Amino acid sequence: MNWKVMSVGLLFCVPLIFVLAKGFNYDPRALPEELTGEMAPDFSLNTLDGYPVSLTDLKGSVVVVNFWATWCVPCLQEHQELVASAEEFKPKGVAFLGVLYGDTKAKAEVYLKKHGAAYPTLLDEAQRTNIDYGVAGVPETFVIGRDGRIVKKYTGPVTKMELEVLLNDLLTR
Amino acid sequence: MSGGIGISLLGRSMVLIALAVSVLGAFSGIAGGMKRSDKAWKWARICAYTAAAAMTLAIGLMEYALITNDFSVSYVAKVGSTTTPLWVTIVSLWSSLEGSILLWAFVLNGYIAAFAYFTKGKYVEHSSYTLGASLSVAVFFSFLVAGVADPFIAMDPVPTDGPGPNPLLQNHILMVIHPPALYLGYVGMAVPFGMGVASLLAGKIGAAWSVALRRWILLPWGFLTVGIILGGWWSYEVLGWGGYWAWDPVENASFLPWLTATAFIHSALIMERKDGLKGWGIVLLLVTFLLTLLGTFMTRSGVFNSVHSFTQTPIGPVFLAFLGFCSFVSLVLLSTRMDVLGSKQKSVPVVSRDSMFLLNNLLFAAFTFTVLIGTVYPLVHEAMTEKKLSIGEPYFNELGIPLSIAIVFLMGVGPALPWGNIDRQDALKRLTIPVVGGIVAIVLALVFGATGFTPLISFAVCGFALMTTLRELIEPASVRVERKAESWGKALWTTWSKTRRRTGGYVVHMGVIMVAVAVTGSGAFKDLSEVTLKEGQSVEIQEYRLTYTGKETVTESHRSSEIAKVSVLRSGREIGVLEPKLNNYFRMGSVIGTPAVHNFLDEDLYLNLVNMNADGSVVGLQVITQPLVLWLWLGGGMMMVGTLISAWPSRKRKRISSTTQQESA
Repeated sequence: MNWKVMSVGLLFCVPLIFVLAKGFNYDPRALPEELTGEMAPDFSLNTLDGYPVSLTDLKGSVVVVNFWATWCVPCLQEHQELVASAEEFKPKGVAFLGVLYGDTKAKAEVYLKKHGAAYPTLLDEAQRTNIDYGVAGVPETFVIGRDGRIVKKYTGPVTKMELEVLLNDLLTR
Repeated sequence: MSGGIGISLLGRSMVLIALAVSVLGAFSGIAGGMKRSDKAWKWARICAYTAAAAMTLAIGLMEYALITNDFSVSYVAKVGSTTTPLWVTIVSLWSSLEGSILLWAFVLNGYIAAFAYFTKGKYVEHSSYTLGASLSVAVFFSFLVAGVADPFIAMDPVPTDGPGPNPLLQNHILMVIHPPALYLGYVGMAVPFGMGVASLLAGKIGAAWSVALRRWILLPWGFLTVGIILGGWWSYEVLGWGGYWAWDPVENASFLPWLTATAFIHSALIMERKDGLKGWGIVLLLVTFLLTLLGTFMTRSGVFNSVHSFTQTPIGPVFLAFLGFCSFVSLVLLSTRMDVLGSKQKSVPVVSRDSMFLLNNLLFAAFTFTVLIGTVYPLVHEAMTEKKLSIGEPYFNELGIPLSIAIVFLMGVGPALPWGNIDRQDALKRLTIPVVGGIVAIVLALVFGATGFTPLISFAVCGFALMTTLRELIEPASVRVERKAESWGKALWTTWSKTRRRTGGYVVHMGVIMVAVAVTGSGAFKDLSEVTLKEGQSVEIQEYRLTYTGKETVTESHRSSEIAKVSVLRSGREIGVLEPKLNNYFRMGSVIGTPAVHNFLDEDLYLNLVNMNADGSVVGLQVITQPLVLWLWLGGGMMMVGTLISAWPSRKRKRISSTTQQESA
């Protein structure tokens, strides 16, 4: 009996099967909300014009981070809603940021020129921030509270009304 | 209706017969191996043939019930419909769980019968054990068809019509090929698994047996390759998902066993030539089979969120239990018998073809691990923290792209080096031409407008590996041309047909390079835009001019389609009319689009119909241009051709070896 082979194998198989078995209790279609309530992963990225922006610089204010791409149809649907929300809430101290997902700077510039931009979009060339936030598809939108914790994650297009309710609530806290 | 009850009864009887003889055959096979008894071995073969015949009848009955719309059979009531066209009815056998498990059991029994037939009279101990082990797997599948996934339940009362299969599957003729190709790949791994178990039980692997091992895994490997590529083709050209690969759990599930099987195909060469890597090779064989079980579990259990959305079924826990059982049996066998196999090869020179094979296996193992972790981690996380987490494409691309580049690079280095110890000077000389190939590839890529570090490196290693592969294919012939003054055509034909296994291998490598070039080009330089066009209006996108000329409505028995007719000019030259459409399936009430794709050698023009107003005067189109996609499908075809060249049984070799195999196995 080669105990080395046995123990390595068991170490690998037993947890795997245990985890798969536990999987029966979960709804695979429920949306991932792992990060809700956690500290938002920090990032330092450049805007399309090359200005550096980091999340730590925005500490103390409410931040809305929207992951998007030019090729994503639902992103276009929510674009005007986000622009309108940004115009309303920026004067009240809420920071809006876009993060580009799997797309190029050039295309984003053309897109924003065409559809209008009310807040900066950041380039995540290494896809690091996309991975940190567990972005599985676009659009996804994270709302971060004054304490730097993620309050809410939206998967799919957001509406101005949804954001309005949440942001007003956060601003009065 | 009595005919229906008859079919239910007959079908189930056939399944039960298959189950019973599989049990018998499993015992006979193991006994035949243990006692080296020809008689028991013969019984195992008879059982294998009988089980295959019974399953063939069962599947024939099910097809008959489907075609005659016999809704008294539960599976027909589930997926049949009087309005479905005939070809859809025929293939709806594998459109839902019960039917696909029946197909699975049928294919498995077919493979086992083929193995019994082709190895008759060769290596008693190994073949007999193999039949025993793979028939044990067949027992499980027959048990599923007889029990939790029974498609033959008699319906009472008998419905007058059914819903028809899932509309996604009714959408295209490709449904005829993609799922069965994958099944032939997945299920076929049960025979190499049986052979691996047999190697452990017999405690030895001779050169002849390792050749047999490699041959029996090549065929399912080829099918798996085709199944994966067709899946990509389907989601790209038919479903309009815009891409061909999304690292979806089910896609990963088919990729995992492909990776380990590929690793095995390479390590089997070391097994055969150097008498080394035996234990490791068997580990790969067993793991490949376990991964096909895991893959089936992922597709069928409803535990993973995937585009292949099958609902949660009672089959999940049963499958998991079987996966656990097979893992445990494999572990016990490995830990008690692996050391008996022994390996003669002790040390490997650092720079040699041998070491490149080891590195290749390491990379494939790392790739497998990366994909497995990425796929399963969300579940691990949820089990530990009760919170959801998702892992998307960026993770897989970040790790998968460098690994793939490294593997293609090795494809250029390995074959360029000789076996065993080599002279450094010599090795460098062998690598000169490939390096030049790499540089030329970068220059070409730059000329065609490619940018970015990763794509350029990727093109470079493709050029590098291409030169090595071409040289390996041509060099032996050039020697003949020089020494024997033969014509090139004759020299190539002679060398290729004399070394078919080797030639096939390099043809597969050529296919892999084509796939790598296509993935690099299409992944890095895809361009997408959205346009809205009124009837008669044109738009210029890059060198294309698209004109919306009007709509057409086509009504068939099961769906109606709104078709947008878009005439296309490329750089002023007429290309034709592309017809992206939206299909409305009556029974399911769902609308599913079909894109229109025009393949050019250099890029694809891809149109999706996003929406259309009521009278069809305005359409919204998604216009995608994606370079080199065609080469992905061509590369896949090339890989299959190479596999066939390599795996095709050779009469001559069989006759010579059948006498020697007895002793060496």
